[in-house]
Amino acid sequence: MGRVERSYWEGDAVGPLVKEITQEAINLFEGSAGQSGPSQFTDEEAARETLGTSGTVASGRMSISFALELMRRHFGSDVFNHTGTVDLRFIRPVRPGDTVTFTGEVTGTSREANGLKVSVKIEAQNQRGDTTGVGSGSAIVPNAFLPPEE
Amino acid sequence: MVEADNRVPLDWDALEVGETFEKFEYVLTQEMIDEYRRGVMDSEAAFPTISHKVDVRQFNAKYSDNGSVNARCAFHCYNSPIPGKKLTVTAWVADKYLRRGKNYIVTEATSVDEDGRLIDRVITHELKQPWEVGKKWEG
Repeated sequence: MGRVERSYWEGDAVGPLVKEITQEAINLFEGSAGQSGPSQFTDEEAARETLGTSGTVASGRMSISFALELMRRHFGSDVFNHTGTVDLRFIRPVRPGDTVTFTGEVTGTSREANGLKVSVKIEAQNQRGDTTGVGSGSAIVPNAFLPPEE
Repeated sequence: MVEADNRVPLDWDALEVGETFEKFEYVLTQEMIDEYRRGVMDSEAAFPTISHKVDVRQFNAKYSDNGSVNARCAFHCYNSPIPGKKLTVTAWVADKYLRRGKNYIVTEATSVDEDGRLIDRVITHELKQPWEVGKKWEG
């Protein structure tokens, strides 16, 4: 894939990225690491015992995965998979049946030794408009990926 | 036969920030990557290591507690892991704090592959009274 040169400006929209959460997806996520035993993510009884909730919840790490995808799609894998970060606080649970929309907005840029650091505000909302996660992300875009300075 | 639980009951007050756990090694297989990608519905997802929860694995192997809830997580990407390569994880207790009467523990871990490539860094804040969020969420 050819290198894409582009500029980054404060206020630029990042995303959105929409994910429909199913119990099957949660089970695959948990199972991919060989975690086959019942947990608050995969088993209603375990969720009731550990959290006191009436059903399972998705791991916050699934939301991290979605935030990584949101950012990678914006910056490209050549950049984001080597310099990217995300940092989320989990405000409300994500449950099977939820549709969660991840959005971002560029909040600023700064010159770093290895390129331009682009900072992004990230938010995740469910289908009821409740915020499930909020935080930030960043990527350092090498100068070679930026338009030449005038 | 039930395996004996040799873990130490967690004493939050006595837990030392900086405690570093025994290194943990595993091989990331293509099957693990494929299953992860199906789970997150992203055929290009590059960091399946996040689902392995490696930053808390050794903590949970050493300490027993009443479970936890992930309150905050940060992930730093350096190089996407290559299937079939052995990953070595170094994890430690990065911080602990008390907020609104609730105990939190922050663990941090880095993963490096067998060729010495730095893969990622993950930092997790876990609330150690998980039923507290259950009450809030269900309330």
